[in-house]
Amino acid sequence: MTILLSVFVLLFQETSNGRFAQMKHGVVNPDLSKFLVIAALLFIIGVAGVLTRRNIIVIFMSIELILNAANLNFIAFSRQLQETGSVNALAGQIFTVFVIVVAAAEAAIGLGIVIALYRNKETIWVDEIDLLKW
Amino acid sequence: MILSGWEAFFFWFFGLAAIFAALLTVMARNAIHSALFLISSLVSVAALFVLAQAEFIAGVQILVYVGGVMVLFLFVIMLVNVGAQERGNEEIFNRPRQVGASLIFCFLLVAAVLFAVNTAYPKLQERVTRQASGEAVATMANRRLPRAATLTSSLSTQSESFGAALYRYGSLPFEIASVLLLVAIIGSVMLARTLKQERSADDMAPEEFEEELIEHPEVATVEVNAD
Repeated sequence: MTILLSVFVLLFQETSNGRFAQMKHGVVNPDLSKFLVIAALLFIIGVAGVLTRRNIIVIFMSIELILNAANLNFIAFSRQLQETGSVNALAGQIFTVFVIVVAAAEAAIGLGIVIALYRNKETIWVDEIDLLKW
Repeated sequence: MILSGWEAFFFWFFGLAAIFAALLTVMARNAIHSALFLISSLVSVAALFVLAQAEFIAGVQILVYVGGVMVLFLFVIMLVNVGAQERGNEEIFNRPRQVGASLIFCFLLVAAVLFAVNTAYPKLQERVTRQASGEAVATMANRRLPRAATLTSSLSTQSESFGAALYRYGSLPFEIASVLLLVAIIGSVMLARTLKQERSADDMAPEEFEEELIEHPEVATVEVNAD
């Protein structure tokens, strides 16, 4: 017990370069990695929504979440490259605009498909849309 | 890139708001609530874009996503969802197998992110500081932005430089994107037509239409707006 406690104190001692101080510094001054963490969490939530929900419209919205997480990564890396003086640091932002364009096209087509599907099958639950099932 | 002070506060505020709203998007029972939470998540992400000095992208995000795509979503929900409200305690999630698969993927992704942050990120940071100590500091000093009248926020020239970069490096994809949008417009109009509209556009044989009418008599009552 005392060994565990001393290990804990050693790991999280309040020094200027102890692990706890580093963690606190990372939280007070968020950098690129925190952007990536938030984007990864949004991506995870989106993937979970795509895989688990039954409502096809909510699945589409989860896809939008995934695309947004990718956009956040692009923007964060673009900002990082701007500070290092890279030549084409704005490439990430350019790519983000194209991702948004493709997302808008995808939403228009996808929702058209949903309306056509609803007219034919009278359902928006994906587990009832099993035309391709063996 | 290191945020500090109020920037850090707003970073955590909007980051956590985005994640919270995204969670509610996936877990809300009513699809309209889902759409509203998705809107707030998208707005929070737009605020994060502003913190990363991408004001133009933030504006595009709000105009295109919140103003365009989400309104489209709400319209479709209202068109489709009338008789299909999620009733009482009906399951909103798929079968346990799919939930389990998604959890496995989530854990894989978390493990990969933790691994990457622990191994690759310090090296990246080291390289950045090495570069920043060199000439990059001088270029940043030259690029210092003029202050706004309130002296609190910098007046950003980001939109200007973004526009220059877009047309310098991305002009061909830009043109291709316009074709893609045209295809999307035509495709969605084609997909969303009713049977009667299809017949009036004359790509359905009249006898075929009569058969369809016998099978689904309700399509005859659908109003045709365009001729």
